[in-house]
Amino acid sequence: MNKKCREIQSLLSAYLENDLAKEELEDISSHLNGCSECLGKKEKMEEMIFKLSDLQEEVPFFLKNRLLNIPDMIEKKKAVASPYFPKWFAAAVGTIILFLNLFYFTNIFPPMNREVHSVVSSIENFFVKTGGWFDKVKESKELLFFTFFNKKSVESKDAKVSQNITNEKDFVKGGRNG
Amino acid sequence: METTDILAKCKNGDPVAWNQMINAYSKAVYNIALNFFAERDIAQDVTQEIFIKIYHNLDKFREDKNFSSWVFTLSRNYCIDYWRKNKKYFLHTQELDEKLSVGNPSPEENLINESEIEKLRENISQLEPELRLILILRDIQDLSYQEIAKNFSIPEGTVKSRINRARLKLAQAFIREGS
Repeated sequence: MNKKCREIQSLLSAYLENDLAKEELEDISSHLNGCSECLGKKEKMEEMIFKLSDLQEEVPFFLKNRLLNIPDMIEKKKAVASPYFPKWFAAAVGTIILFLNLFYFTNIFPPMNREVHSVVSSIENFFVKTGGWFDKVKESKELLFFTFFNKKSVESKDAKVSQNITNEKDFVKGGRNG
Repeated sequence: METTDILAKCKNGDPVAWNQMINAYSKAVYNIALNFFAERDIAQDVTQEIFIKIYHNLDKFREDKNFSSWVFTLSRNYCIDYWRKNKKYFLHTQELDEKLSVGNPSPEENLINESEIEKLRENISQLEPELRLILILRDIQDLSYQEIAKNFSIPEGTVKSRINRARLKLAQAFIREGS
């Protein structure tokens, strides 16, 4: 393709739309008469511009329905949306946990390793203490229930037990006597 | 009802106004997406996403601006972003299409207008995104050079030269294929 062809082809759209000066139009027409390559492109372009207008399509009805429902869909989503939890916060928490694990299980930074271990042991101590405290509460709770609800039944149980003991004693006595 | 009224009502959640908005702009947006991607499923999803974006950003729209150019700009940006995000997929499917369509189409195929349209869409989808959009707006949506220049914030002369480049590339593609 020579320089003239390149120049003509850069003006083909304007030529087809009659958007050029008279001299330019005549110049291009005379070139097209003698150049099959440019003429072929011009004809193809003309044919295509005509066909391109057929590419408009109607919106499918189901898509239109989807579009019409957008406000409802968004409002429903808003109603069930979970509370805002910023991503940077999650990333920061994740990074801290990762580093704590790294310091706890490896000894790449000994002071931090010691620090983390002492924190973990103090947490363990705390749980041991609170665990003991919980046990105490549990026991006292049982005592409380015992005093209010199970008093009678336990009393009767105790009475039965003492009765049994006396019976056994009598049996033993009787046995000795008899 | 005027566009400003429709917009004001849409912002207040009026379903009738939203309906009017969909009727006025859905065809244009759908056709941009369809001819940009040349795939119906993607075009439908993209159209829906564009309208969701429009709904979310209604408050940000300044009323001294032209609403239709705002919609076109939003559609253009979304299409280009979507294309960039899924570039690998689109380039891969283009390669596959080229491998599958070996040789010239059969005479029966030439008779079917539908396949011609699909071929045209396929060739459009192989243009660079900016050229593609300008061609769609000019030759399919029938927008004037001035309107396109305004929508894209570029000089009218640039629009004309890009249209010419897009048409030439398309013509060359068809000549190469011999159709």
